[in-house]
Amino acid sequence: MRNSAQLRHEFLKAWIKSLKIYSNLKKNMSISHRKNAIKLSADVAIASITQKAKPSASSHRWTQSLMADAASSDDGTNRIFVEQTLGYKLGNRKKSPTTGLMTKCSKKILRNNIRVFLGKSRKRTTPKHAKAGSIIANKGVEKRTRLLKRLVPGGEDMDEISLMEEALDYIALLQVQRDVLKQVAAVAESLRNLKSVN
Amino acid sequence: MEPQLEATQPQFRSVLSGPDAGELGFGFDEIHGLISNPPEAPSSSFTALLELPPPQAVELLVNEDFPAKPMPPPIFPSNIALIDRASKFSVFASADNSSEKTPILSASSPMKLDSVKREPPDSDSRPNSSSPPVSTQGLKSGKRKQEEKKVKVTNKKSKKAAAAANDSSEESGDKLPFVHVRARRGQATDRHSLAERARREKINARMKLLQELVPGCNKISGTAMVLDEIINHVQALQRQVEILSMRLAAVNPRIDFNIDDILAAESGSSIDNSYMGMFAPSMWPELQLEGNRQHQYPQPWQFAGLHHPSLAKEEADTPNFITPENSLISYDSPANSASLHSSQLKMEL
Repeated sequence: MRNSAQLRHEFLKAWIKSLKIYSNLKKNMSISHRKNAIKLSADVAIASITQKAKPSASSHRWTQSLMADAASSDDGTNRIFVEQTLGYKLGNRKKSPTTGLMTKCSKKILRNNIRVFLGKSRKRTTPKHAKAGSIIANKGVEKRTRLLKRLVPGGEDMDEISLMEEALDYIALLQVQRDVLKQVAAVAESLRNLKSVN
Repeated sequence: MEPQLEATQPQFRSVLSGPDAGELGFGFDEIHGLISNPPEAPSSSFTALLELPPPQAVELLVNEDFPAKPMPPPIFPSNIALIDRASKFSVFASADNSSEKTPILSASSPMKLDSVKREPPDSDSRPNSSSPPVSTQGLKSGKRKQEEKKVKVTNKKSKKAAAAANDSSEESGDKLPFVHVRARRGQATDRHSLAERARREKINARMKLLQELVPGCNKISGTAMVLDEIINHVQALQRQVEILSMRLAAVNPRIDFNIDDILAAESGSSIDNSYMGMFAPSMWPELQLEGNRQHQYPQPWQFAGLHHPSLAKEEADTPNFITPENSLISYDSPANSASLHSSQLKMEL
C-alpha cells in the first residue's frame, strides 16, 4: 500500500481543494460553521483519495456513507460541494440514516418478543456438535462489535468481516487526516502567534 | 467388494434412516447433521455412511463423481452391517481425472485396503498417517466442499480410530475463491462447523491486521480487549480531528489557508493580496519575490523529506538555503514545514 507520507500528500491536496470549493460556495461563515466546513472537507477528502487511489475501494461502504452524510447534512449547498469535490454526481440516498436505526430497533423488539414467548419452552435446538463451531459468539465481543459498527461510518448494516476491513481503511485514513490537520493547525497557530507578537 | 452398492446409492439414506437411533452409539449427532443436510450430490450420503463405521475406521477419500465422468461410482456399503464390512474392505473406486485420493489405513486399523488410488502430489499427505490429502486443484467449487466434508469425515474417523496424528489442520487463506478448511482432530466436521470455522479464521486474520495498525495492541490477547483498544483509538482519532478542526477554524476568519493561496499563485494571480490575509506583511518583506517562487521549487525538494521530522523537532532551523523563498522560512520550523508543504504541492500540481 502507499506509504503514509504519500497518503498525507494526497490528503492535503484533496483537502485544500475541497476547502477552496467550500469557501467559494459560502462566505462569511461563523466559527462553528467553519469548523464543520473544515471537518467536512477533510472527510470528503479522505473519501475521495481512497476512491482515486484504489478503484476497488470505492465499493467500501464507509467512503460512500461518509459522502452521503456529508451531502445530506444541513443544506443543499453541502451536496453541491461534495459533488464538485468528487467530480461526479451522487445518487440519492434517502433512507440511509434511518435504516440502521430501524433494523436495530426491530431486531431488538423481535428478540425480546421471542425470548418472552419461547423462554420457558425453548429447548436446546443447537446440536451438540455445533459447540465446536461456537455458534454463540462472545458477549463482550458482540457488544464491542456493535460499538465499532456505530463508529465506522456506514458500518451498521455490514457483516463482521467487511466491518473489520473497512475499519482498517478508516483507521488508516483517520490517522492521516489527524496528522495533516495537526501540522496545518500548528503552522497556522504559530504564524498567528508570530503575527500577534509583531 | 459390494457391487450392489453401485446401484443403490439412492437407497443409502433410507437405509441409514432406519437404524439411525443410536445404534452405533457414537457421534450420532454428527451423523444426523450429515444426513439431514440436503445432498448436493449422491456422494453426500456417502459421507454420512462414512461416519458410521466402527472405531477402526478406514480413512478413505473419495473423489466426487461428476456426472460427466465416465468412471464408476464409488462403491459403498448399503447399510450399517455392510458398512462394517466396508470398513474392513474399504473400497472406494471412483477416480477423478485431475485428482485422486489414496485411501489410507489408520495405523491401528487391522483392515486391509482393497483398492488404492493414486495419490496426488500433495505436500500434506503423509505416507503412513491417516490424514487424507486433499488436492485443491481441478475440482469444481461445489464439489470441493463435498470433498472437504469427506476429509473431515475421515478425519473424524481417524480420531475415533486413535490413529496416528491426524492434525492436518491447515487452513487455506482467503486467496482461493472458496475456503478450503481442514478439520482438526476432534472437531466436528459438518457443514455448519466448517463454515463457522472458516468465518472465524477470516475474522482472526483481519483482527491481526487491525492489531498491527492500532498501536499498543500487540501485547493484548483476546478479541474483546483488542476490540476495546481499536474502539478507543478510533474515538480518540475522531475527537482529535474534531478538536483540530476547531482550532483551525479559530485561527483565521477564512478557511482557505495560505497553501491555498500559494496554489492560486500558480496562475500568477494576486498572490500578494491573499498572502496578506494569512501572514503579517511584515514577516514577509520579500513578498514580491513570491512570483519567483516558482523558479525555486526544485531546490526545496530535497528538504521535502525533512519537513515532517522537522516539525516534530520544533527547532528554529536556519538552513543554508540560497533561495529567497527559503530565507523566508527561517522563522520557525512550523513555517518551514508549511512552506515546504506548499512547495511540494506546487510541484505535484
